[in-house]
Amino acid sequence: MSHFLVSAAYYIQGIILVYFLAINSTYTLLILFALKDIVQNSYLSTSRGARRLLTSDSYYKPVSIIVPAYNESAVISDCIRSLLNLHYPEFEIIVVNDGSSDETIARLKEDFKLGAYLKPVRRQIPHAPIKNIYISGNYPNLIIIDKETGGKADAINAGINVSSYPIFCSLDADSLLEPDAILKSSKPFIENDEVIATGGIVRVLNGCLVKDGAVLEAELPTKTLEAIQVLEYARAFLSGRTGWNLINSLLIISGAFGVFRKDMVVAVNGYRKTVGEDMDLVMRLHRHCLDNKIPYKIFFVPDPVCWTQVPFTLTMLRKQRNRWHRGLLDSLLANRSMILNPKYGAVSLLGVSYFLFVEVLGPIIELLGYILIPVFYFMGLLDAKFVLLLVAMSLLWGISINISAIFLDTYNFRRYKKQKDVLRLCLMSVVDFLGYRQITLYERVRACFYFRGTQWDTQKRQSQ
Amino acid sequence: MLIMRLTSSPHFYACLYIAVGLLAAFNLFEIIFMLFHKNRLDKSEVEKELLKHRISTAIITVTDPSEVLPKPVSAMNYAAYNEAVSSIIESFEGEIVERATKLIYKFEIDLYYKRLSRTTIWFKRAHAIDMLSALKLKKNREFFYAVFKSEPVKEVRYRILYGLSRLARDREDIYSISKLLATLPYLTAKYTEDVFLNTITALKNSGKEEEFGFFLKQIMTDTGIPLKIKRDCLSACYLAGCERDGLIVKEYYSAFQNEPAIIIACIRTLANVDPGILPEVLRHKDWRVRLTALKYAHLGGTDLLHDLKDLVHDSNYHIRLNAALALSKLGDPGLEILRGETASTDKFAANAAKYALTGAEAAS
Repeated sequence: MSHFLVSAAYYIQGIILVYFLAINSTYTLLILFALKDIVQNSYLSTSRGARRLLTSDSYYKPVSIIVPAYNESAVISDCIRSLLNLHYPEFEIIVVNDGSSDETIARLKEDFKLGAYLKPVRRQIPHAPIKNIYISGNYPNLIIIDKETGGKADAINAGINVSSYPIFCSLDADSLLEPDAILKSSKPFIENDEVIATGGIVRVLNGCLVKDGAVLEAELPTKTLEAIQVLEYARAFLSGRTGWNLINSLLIISGAFGVFRKDMVVAVNGYRKTVGEDMDLVMRLHRHCLDNKIPYKIFFVPDPVCWTQVPFTLTMLRKQRNRWHRGLLDSLLANRSMILNPKYGAVSLLGVSYFLFVEVLGPIIELLGYILIPVFYFMGLLDAKFVLLLVAMSLLWGISINISAIFLDTYNFRRYKKQKDVLRLCLMSVVDFLGYRQITLYERVRACFYFRGTQWDTQKRQSQ
Repeated sequence: MLIMRLTSSPHFYACLYIAVGLLAAFNLFEIIFMLFHKNRLDKSEVEKELLKHRISTAIITVTDPSEVLPKPVSAMNYAAYNEAVSSIIESFEGEIVERATKLIYKFEIDLYYKRLSRTTIWFKRAHAIDMLSALKLKKNREFFYAVFKSEPVKEVRYRILYGLSRLARDREDIYSISKLLATLPYLTAKYTEDVFLNTITALKNSGKEEEFGFFLKQIMTDTGIPLKIKRDCLSACYLAGCERDGLIVKEYYSAFQNEPAIIIACIRTLANVDPGILPEVLRHKDWRVRLTALKYAHLGGTDLLHDLKDLVHDSNYHIRLNAALALSKLGDPGLEILRGETASTDKFAANAAKYALTGAEAAS
């Protein structure tokens, strides 16, 4: 074997080892940050504070809830009914039918007694033409926009133009909000003028007991594929996003549930048509504020809950993960001026760098590790004991990160009441490494080779 | 070569074994601790709710509730007492509130939170201040002033001022609060309004409502109080309905002609007591002033028809829409103008008129 190949192999092993240590240390650090934030939050947000918003005449800001919908006839009416039950003094619901080819608009007309809405629309952000705007005869705060297809970002932009209130919440049609979710997620806007966006936690709806658009009891789904996603969501939201709060470098607010100050979103020309419109918007908000020296805060609030359906087949899951990764790549590419740019401070040097080096490069290096470590072993370049110990360590470290995410969830929120569910989640922490992680990893690597495209990516829904 | 050097080191494998062992032990410990913690919290939550219920019932039904209630011994007990008592103080008055207050002193609940407000962790101090603030104990006034002076974290200082605002006794107190507010970075209009609403409520409860009027007059020319705080005082005054004759507000209106923020705050009170200012503010150069005036334009009656007709053609979207809506509230003369506007060559004005007409028709 040539000397060159052996040297190269050792270098690659070194890179994989250092990378493994760096990535896991970053995740561990984020969990520690998140723990601090969650403990702090548990002291500062009392239920009395949230109640005061409801009972006071002046202590709230009205909110427009924008729900983009494309072929959502199966779930749209339940979603609206759940929203109509929100505990909030003043809000409007704007459903944007983005040229659905199914019965979405017919279902809405049938269920909500729609009439013409003539309020002139101020076109502050561009979007595809609106065909009609309706208002519900039963619920004067329910507005339906029927427009030509333009994609999710385009639909939200239309909703922003029609909306009347200073803050808006974007919400997926397959999601259900807890009654006090808007109250809790809009509270930071009232408490601090510098807050321009907040995101709440998105939890898995599959398996939960739902009645009249409200989650009565949270239960872990019986199917392993769905149960692992419960763990994954807890890890992504509670350790991932909460951790970034501490250094004001949160780069993602989920498209499924985010609250924004309208004037700021209008200032950055609304959502951009991309598969990752949620991350792209937050990055542009950061950029806009830092470029123009506007003091701002973007928060993740771990308490308000939005329940959403997650993929229940492998095909759907692969499609979704591919789309998410394409969104990440496209957002980073579109905002490349923020990469390692000291002008953007911690947001660039920590937040953007994390996404570039951990989330984008991570899957490639991990896949390389899966392929090359056995190759090096069979080439006699690695000792069996070393390989086994390295694999054991990486598995145990990964499992510990997963369990810590469950711990963060259980420490303060305790959504899953049964001990059995918590134990099963711990089991999922191990199962995660036995195929699931590798499948999503494969999709993420595959997405690196094709990441353009802005069309709606609909998925099958299970009615609750 | 790093790997080679590492793997050939005698300590390397020992380190790896230790790391693997520690990680395995940590995982196991974390699972056990988590299950134990969850179980403990679930139980403690149920106990807390039961205790709260017991405390509330005892305060309402027993003359000396301390005789039938257990002394608080844990953080959970203190939290239950605080929540139950503050809820009673919010909802009742007279003898029951006195009983609740006596219970606080007897069981030293206030002392517990005062001790907690001296911890080194800022969010624990903030929590303790919130809890003390909910108790509305008059004796806490001096304590709040003292901790404000020594408190280094502004997040806690905002909370202290909030607590103080619920205990205001007279105009001097409100003035001190405003001065202290002025030393902090401005938070939000809602926060400042809420602070002054609290002071007004506290004054109303002690029958000294007029003190707020004196305070408003006192700060009018005080350059030490920022304009934003003055504006929020006026807004709180409007929300609490404490300046019914609008005399002082009118003085503000005349004195701050070049300050749109103050004029906007004044319009809300004055539109009801002196609609004569409406034509002037409807023509104001700042669109936010015009917009606020339009919200009350229907109070000015048909005298404003001409001004409103002009405003339907304003360059600002909000003004056009609200002018049309104001016309739709002025009865037949207003509706007549709107009908005429639907045929206007100015399509923005025509659309606004159509929208307002539809609303008016639906309402009738």
